[in-house]
Amino acid sequence: MGVGVGLTAGAGVSAGARSSGALEGDHELVVRDLTWRPFGRRDPILDHLDLDLAPGERVLLAGPSGSGKSTLLRALAGVLTSTDSGELSGSVALGGHPVLDHPTGEVGLLLQDPADAMVAGTVGREVAFGPENAGLAREQIWERVEESLRLVGFPYGIDHEVRALSGGEAQRLALAGVLALRPAVLLLDEPCSMLDPASAATVRDAVAGAVAQSGATLVVVEHQLSHWTDLVDRLVVLDYQGHVVADGPVADVLTAERDRLLELGVWVPGAEAPAPLPVDPSLAEPAPGAGGVLVRAEDVGVVRTVPPGLSSWQVVHDPVVALAGADAEVRAGSVLALRGASGAGKSTLAAVLAGLLEPTSGMVTRMRVGDAGAGAGAGAGAGGGSGGAAGAGGASGDSAGLAAGTGWCPQNPEIGMVGRTVRDDVCTTGRALGLDEAWLERRAQGLLGALGLGPELWERDPHTLSGGEQRRLALASSIAHGPGLLALDEPTVGQDRSTWSAVRGVITAARDGGTAVVLATHDAQLAEVADDQVVLERQPAGGSTRAGGATDAEGRAPREPAGGSTRPGRRVTSGLAARSGPLAVLLASVIPMAGAPFLRDWRTAAFGLVAFLVVSPLVLGRRWPQPLHRLTPVLIGVLSLLFSNCWLSPDRDLASAALPALRLGFFAAPAVLLMAYLEPFPLGDHLGQRLRVPGRPLLAGVAALQRFDSLVATYAELRVVRRVRGIAPPRRSVVGQVREAASLTFALLVHGLRQAARMAVAMEARGFSMPVATGRRRTWAQPAPWRGTDTALVGVILLVTALTIGVGVAPW
Amino acid sequence: MNPRTDTSTRSGRTASGRSLFAWRGIDFVVGAMLAVGLGVAFWGFDTFLYPVLNGATAGYPPIGGLMLGIWLLPAVAGALLIRRPGAAIYVEIIAAVVEALLGNRWGAAVLVSGFLQGLGVSVAFGLLRWRRFDVSAAMLGGVLAAVFEIAAYEWWSYYPDFSWTQKLVYLGCGMLSGAVIAGLGGFALVRALARAGAVNAFPVAQEARENALR
Repeated sequence: MGVGVGLTAGAGVSAGARSSGALEGDHELVVRDLTWRPFGRRDPILDHLDLDLAPGERVLLAGPSGSGKSTLLRALAGVLTSTDSGELSGSVALGGHPVLDHPTGEVGLLLQDPADAMVAGTVGREVAFGPENAGLAREQIWERVEESLRLVGFPYGIDHEVRALSGGEAQRLALAGVLALRPAVLLLDEPCSMLDPASAATVRDAVAGAVAQSGATLVVVEHQLSHWTDLVDRLVVLDYQGHVVADGPVADVLTAERDRLLELGVWVPGAEAPAPLPVDPSLAEPAPGAGGVLVRAEDVGVVRTVPPGLSSWQVVHDPVVALAGADAEVRAGSVLALRGASGAGKSTLAAVLAGLLEPTSGMVTRMRVGDAGAGAGAGAGAGGGSGGAAGAGGASGDSAGLAAGTGWCPQNPEIGMVGRTVRDDVCTTGRALGLDEAWLERRAQGLLGALGLGPELWERDPHTLSGGEQRRLALASSIAHGPGLLALDEPTVGQDRSTWSAVRGVITAARDGGTAVVLATHDAQLAEVADDQVVLERQPAGGSTRAGGATDAEGRAPREPAGGSTRPGRRVTSGLAARSGPLAVLLASVIPMAGAPFLRDWRTAAFGLVAFLVVSPLVLGRRWPQPLHRLTPVLIGVLSLLFSNCWLSPDRDLASAALPALRLGFFAAPAVLLMAYLEPFPLGDHLGQRLRVPGRPLLAGVAALQRFDSLVATYAELRVVRRVRGIAPPRRSVVGQVREAASLTFALLVHGLRQAARMAVAMEARGFSMPVATGRRRTWAQPAPWRGTDTALVGVILLVTALTIGVGVAPW
Repeated sequence: MNPRTDTSTRSGRTASGRSLFAWRGIDFVVGAMLAVGLGVAFWGFDTFLYPVLNGATAGYPPIGGLMLGIWLLPAVAGALLIRRPGAAIYVEIIAAVVEALLGNRWGAAVLVSGFLQGLGVSVAFGLLRWRRFDVSAAMLGGVLAAVFEIAAYEWWSYYPDFSWTQKLVYLGCGMLSGAVIAGLGGFALVRALARAGAVNAFPVAQEARENALR
């Protein structure tokens, strides 16, 4: 049963000068008898847990994967029941009042992946989310934004685009978003585990600065203790069952409990990296005929165009240089490590070497070595074209060919899962390739066992595994079918010492078995396994601005400044629609629809269409920025209605059939072009303030719509995964493509909904539901004005619609 | 301190045991994401598949109603997942907004359709007093969504020249499609999502997991 441990560090508040945001009163956090059993699990994750945290205390929470550290933080933040369902008992009280039930904003929670926290398009509005939920006045909101960005040392101004941030910057922004509610307790759930060491250091410094100034109680969960040991004063260790097994001043616990900590797999600072687990190389060697690979990349570069997504098509983005001028060579029986800061292009180069991505410049050569001369040096191609035996199934090749040669372990393991069960997933590729079932089974079971994924997990759906387990499953699945080339993207993230040693053991076995291994990693200890390494430099971002003051004299946010050409994106401003607010655009899109029933004959409808065409340069600008193919569906719709109504009408009367068809064109064509100017975030601002649409459904909708671009990117990643796993259908098969689309959509939904649950945690912790609990209205950081251009746009559309109706009813 | 008992009921109407109208934050966030995810799929369907199928039904256009169920799916799935009045309308409207923003053949009219379809599903679950979320409830939802969409909107705006026979055939095809694609399909989708651990905070997953434990 749970071990109650009294607090040891006492009021170890070392905060010096407290800022204006300093806390007053008693903020002791008391956890009593806390028990949580999620439905579907026999045993509780938290089992009668007791814990006391003095105000201002700084605590590091350590323990093996699955010991319930993240769950405990969610319970402390009061968001447990809103993200999972189960049986909860016990109490959590802050300063004497209960917080287990609902978030109050007094307890802030920062999650592992900053992408889960983002709700807004710009830095300022992202930080403002919490204060808006708390119902603060506009001036106060911007004061809080400024204060929080300063606390974390954020380098950019409030108008900077969120999507242009690096991982470390985004995590600091997420931290600022949490601090903006001035929490008395700050909870950090593995805030640095997805960052490279340099970015992790900036996040750590931001946390140190913030707690020093605010005096907040700090609880950090992290596998790598070394980042945090000099910042915290107390170390609490949980065991596999979620019981507190050690608790005390950091230095004391590290010394006294060193052996136990190592045994639990905790990364004790200063301890040597664990020895790789010995793994039988025959489990990881290439399948017969797949070995002996050599891949060479010369001066390769990848430039990505930013697609016009849902939320930002009218913002024109410069192409992004993901990789430039890289040289690399990897051969059978060796490991090539790709190093460098986040954003330097490690993943991109790994994908290029693996044959998943065609470089936009440079040359990739794939050949066989050691095959007694037969076909050595078989294939070479410019621009990533690949050839030769080992290269069959390069970036443009068929799925089975690619899968036979390449194993791929993606950076986000959740995306790599394709099987219904763990066992299925590991065997998927081998079965698709028609490999010998007994051989495959032996390897699959051997690899799973070596990686600590025991038979009790084999029938589980892979999505229900923990993050660390998923990553190890992805590794097993990439090797089981015996590819000649193995590309691994950050395979050790989130692993404790024992699972780390297993991952390293499997990599070593693959190398010793004759596989060519590409390893993109920021784990310095893992990189020691490499025979060669390539260090990449981060590409300079194409002009990021360092804006100054956060607010203008009236305490409002400055509007988009004119001539912001150095921004990540340039805004199209030609035409009335581009300069109008979202409500005007929405209204203008609906007006023709309201007028359409009054069109009584096809000539009137045709007149209306022509009239819209005449005013289009005024409304849309002289150079229509949007691609005309947006109108294709409308055109098809018009022709199809024309045909249906004509074909089926008793006398095949074309004139009568033309009316519904042209009517559709009359109201759909202008709307389709106009609605391209709607962006979710401003639309939410205006709907919330001018039409008083309730906050939560509106904000959740906006946050989800903002994810559209990333969902499309995920869809593309899922496609690549299915190709490299050997299960994508041939391009010519229509039925296959439809089934593939259904599988991809389901996989996308699984990924998207799991992310939505994490988003809900982050949003709730920032007071998303506070207006409902307190009855106080939410406020908005920026006004939603109705401008002259709004009236002009609506006027023009109204005029054309009215004129058309008038022409129809006129007596001539 | 104040000891607590279960905050979640196992067999109750909602995951948190709160009242039928008290939406949790996660209900909105996951519902909206479901809509956007399906919106991505819709857009692909509208753009690549629908024109082809449209051509295939050209010989007797009222058969085109058989495709309607695809668009009704978010409403049924949303109601099954969230189990609260208005869930179907909320999810279907956001899916329609995605279509609207991307560009589609019906322009702003997708918003009207989205509302009517969601309303139809809500009425169906309301008739069952928000107590049944099984496959027959889902199919009824799909049928009523088709009735609302076709009888209240499409007959009058898109197919005024159809004879009454043709209108009724179109309606029948729509209802069949609503029952099968949206009803059966939506039910299967939500159950599969629950099995994949994608909707852990929702009653459908909680039932599945507890049953698996027994």
